[in-house]
Amino acid sequence: MQNRVNRAVELAEAAGAMPGPAGEESYRRPGIWRRLRALLAAATVNRGARIGLALVLALVFAAVFAPWIAPFDPDEMGAGMFLSPPSAAHWFGTDEFGRDIFSRVIHGARLTIQVGVIAVGISLTVGTLVGLVAGYAGGWTERILMRLVDVVFSFTETLIALAAVAVMGPSLTNAMIAVGIAAIPFYARVAYSVTLVERNRAYFDAAYVAGAGHMRLIFVHLLPNILPPLIVVATLGVSSAVLAAAGLSFLGLGAQPPSPEWGAMLSAGRDYFTQASWIMIYPGLAIMVAVLAFNLLGDGIREALDPRQKHR
Amino acid sequence: MARYLLQRVFAAILTVFVTTIAVSMLIHLVPGDPVQIMYAQSQGTTPEQLEEVRARLGLDRPLVEQYVTYIGRVLQGDLGHTIRGEQPVLELLLLRLPNTLVLASAALLIAATIGMTLGFVAAYKRGTWIDTVLMTTAILGVSMPHFWLGLILLFYFAVQLQWFPVAGNGIENLVLPAVTLGLTNAAIIARLTRSSMIDIFDQDFIRTAHAKGLPKAVVLSRHALRAGLVPIVTMIGLQFTYMMGGAIVVENVFGWNGVGRMAIQAIFQRDYPLIQGFILMFAVVVVTVSLLMDLIYAWLDPRIRR
Amino acid sequence: MTGPGMISDTPIAGAPAPEAAEAAETAGPVLSVEGLSTEFRTAAGIARAVDGLSFELRRGEILAIVGESGSGKSVTSLSIMGLIPDPPGRIAGGRVMFGGQDLTRLGEREMQRLRGDGISMIFQEPMTSLNPVLSIGRQMTEGIMHHLGLGPAEARARAIEMMRRVSIPAPESRLGAYPHQFSGGMLQRIMIAIAMSCHPRVLIADEPTTALDVTIQAQILDLMREMRDSTGTSIILITHDMGVVAETADRVVVMYCGRKIEEAGVRDLFARPRHPYTRGLLGALPVLGQAGAVGSGALSEIPGVVPALTALPAGCRFSDRCALATERCRAEPPPLEEPAPGHRVACWHADAAEAGA
Repeated sequence: MQNRVNRAVELAEAAGAMPGPAGEESYRRPGIWRRLRALLAAATVNRGARIGLALVLALVFAAVFAPWIAPFDPDEMGAGMFLSPPSAAHWFGTDEFGRDIFSRVIHGARLTIQVGVIAVGISLTVGTLVGLVAGYAGGWTERILMRLVDVVFSFTETLIALAAVAVMGPSLTNAMIAVGIAAIPFYARVAYSVTLVERNRAYFDAAYVAGAGHMRLIFVHLLPNILPPLIVVATLGVSSAVLAAAGLSFLGLGAQPPSPEWGAMLSAGRDYFTQASWIMIYPGLAIMVAVLAFNLLGDGIREALDPRQKHR
Repeated sequence: MARYLLQRVFAAILTVFVTTIAVSMLIHLVPGDPVQIMYAQSQGTTPEQLEEVRARLGLDRPLVEQYVTYIGRVLQGDLGHTIRGEQPVLELLLLRLPNTLVLASAALLIAATIGMTLGFVAAYKRGTWIDTVLMTTAILGVSMPHFWLGLILLFYFAVQLQWFPVAGNGIENLVLPAVTLGLTNAAIIARLTRSSMIDIFDQDFIRTAHAKGLPKAVVLSRHALRAGLVPIVTMIGLQFTYMMGGAIVVENVFGWNGVGRMAIQAIFQRDYPLIQGFILMFAVVVVTVSLLMDLIYAWLDPRIRR
Repeated sequence: MTGPGMISDTPIAGAPAPEAAEAAETAGPVLSVEGLSTEFRTAAGIARAVDGLSFELRRGEILAIVGESGSGKSVTSLSIMGLIPDPPGRIAGGRVMFGGQDLTRLGEREMQRLRGDGISMIFQEPMTSLNPVLSIGRQMTEGIMHHLGLGPAEARARAIEMMRRVSIPAPESRLGAYPHQFSGGMLQRIMIAIAMSCHPRVLIADEPTTALDVTIQAQILDLMREMRDSTGTSIILITHDMGVVAETADRVVVMYCGRKIEEAGVRDLFARPRHPYTRGLLGALPVLGQAGAVGSGALSEIPGVVPALTALPAGCRFSDRCALATERCRAEPPPLEEPAPGHRVACWHADAAEAGA
């Protein structure tokens, strides 16, 4: 995990230098969108990143158009026979209530995207703020904040998420929040490292000399510049958030039946999988593909930006 | 060396200290009345009884006083009693902790053996089809939810082939959960080992070793592996924490009677004393393991050993 | 391991007995490189880092190979050692003759027997060239045990002896130490001790002083000369620093873009450099557009940069940067000529360059 941070920091620093030369001398940096577009263009040179991006887009497509893609209502009991194997009518078979598993998996994509957006949104926002303030303020603020981050980070995200759910009680929303909280230290670490890099660039000194106040320096000058690399790092973060939330739901601490959340589907189907293996195969496969999509994308971007790779 | 270890010990103590604060305050973060929530599942609890519990748990006193009382008890080895059954928390945890440690250690052994071997081979064969196949498998492994892999293994090896019993706590029950937890982590270790070893293979001292005319096997084992071991072992140590987290989930798939399974039940039952005890114990285990790793690290790396 | 060196390991029909070969070599070169070409596959095409290079290394001499980075001097040394990473690199042609054998044709096992024994090598960065997690003693004795077939105690004694010879104080107590506990100069001494420990006949030193402080540089160069004097080992000194050459070498080969462009005895070369590039290296070239100079350090007098190996000029490879270049230079590569005994140069205007000085 320490290693995960190091690699994420490496990735963020490489992404922070994009596009063009590191720009230590320049007094202006290109806008966020231009930089993200440049990053994406650089990344899609990598085959893994292209596959990952295609899978992510497919996932988003499934989530947005779920009602039109899914042949059945995900909650409709008796859409088919109970526990009938995959067939032309029910591609992924039906579950113990005769619900169409394919339709449920497609609708589950919505929840997965939600988990990704909300969980990563929480950890990215809070983590960025903590890292940014620590990196900007320096001194005791920096020492206390980062020490605290280190302490929290030394637990696994699983434990922090469990503790958070234990406090808030089981539900999908709480699971998303819990997973988001659990990943805060990770983003704080990365944001902190990137802030330290940005602080040493010419534009920051220029703004400081020009007499910009703390708020202006933090939110107008630093924040827009640390965001692009952090967003790149967040692609990797989405995969662990999705995995963790599905795990909580599987344990019964997240989404509750009859929700078509993939982890909850696996949990509910456990009692039947000896008779009907498709009940566990497809939701699990869906989780894996979603996680794989973001892993491929994140890894691909990292590989494409790896300065060592380029010299070889 | 001494300075380095002192720093580590200090960091460890600090971690446990912060955890005790977090754990003792945990109950106050619960939205609503925690005592009511805790007893919501038991029938016929009177308001007087709830008040009595509140007083017994000390929840009606100032926060600082609560913390001092808590830490005082913890130092005496008293982690309180469970809401359900009034059993001593520490005893319950210690009864099951060995099971979890055995599971995590077995999984770590599997993960390290497979992961380091494959990562090393992939690094050595970098750029070839072997590397591509291994790394594709690894990213699939990293993306695989362990609870799902567990269900599949359970279905195939326990139900279909009947090689292993479905549930229980004997050594034959350890195989499937350990493999489940081991395989997904092997994928992570393989990826990290590969990138560490690639860095090592490009080092000047490897070229020096070749220039000395040492056989390839010696260069790889004595020079490359020995130097690569430092970052890899550190990383595997950290992986143990991750395994403990994974064990919580896997124990529930296989009905392995460890602390993770108990913790999930405690969360369902809103048994806060047990949850608090679990988190604190988890922190102590994590801190101990990482201290142990720091020692191994110092022993492996002469730059720290001094 | 049957005997010292590799001669006895390779029975060749009609080959002289080791002693006789030894005697015969006193006259002939210890090592001769004949038409060596080494290529690398790159994204931009095949890059020929060394192109038809020939030179001879005589017994007990210090031969400097000089050039900017990218001139192919380091690739030459790795080619001789058989340490070119393959892929992407390969030796595309030529021979490296050592002890009656062509090293480019030897198998990996035979090369292993030779490395660190018949030919050994030291590198530019002493700080990173030793394994940080193994003790100095271990790194010194492993080669000794491997090549000389000595037991641990004897190897240790030999290591201590070698450390004493390179002036490491209190060698007995330093064997257990690790690289980070030494300074760069000390580490380079240790590297030399390791390289010399198996009585090599050739020592290749690839920029051995570049990473060191100036005062330390002189000490290391002195040490290398001392080693040569006491053991008779021939040394190939690879460097970009003409100061180092003047101080240490007997003879000099100047390389540019993979080719030898000039070769001479060190006095002759410094007194009468014939190639404009060599003159540039010596800082005496008539300057053309000083503002355009991109090179750094010792070579700032030569304008322009070394061209990419995948986009070389058709004629003389130096023509783009040469003040004397004419149409002929750009069209036709100049042949290597020997205007004075032992002084070779490849330039259409070698005489003009000398006259212009």
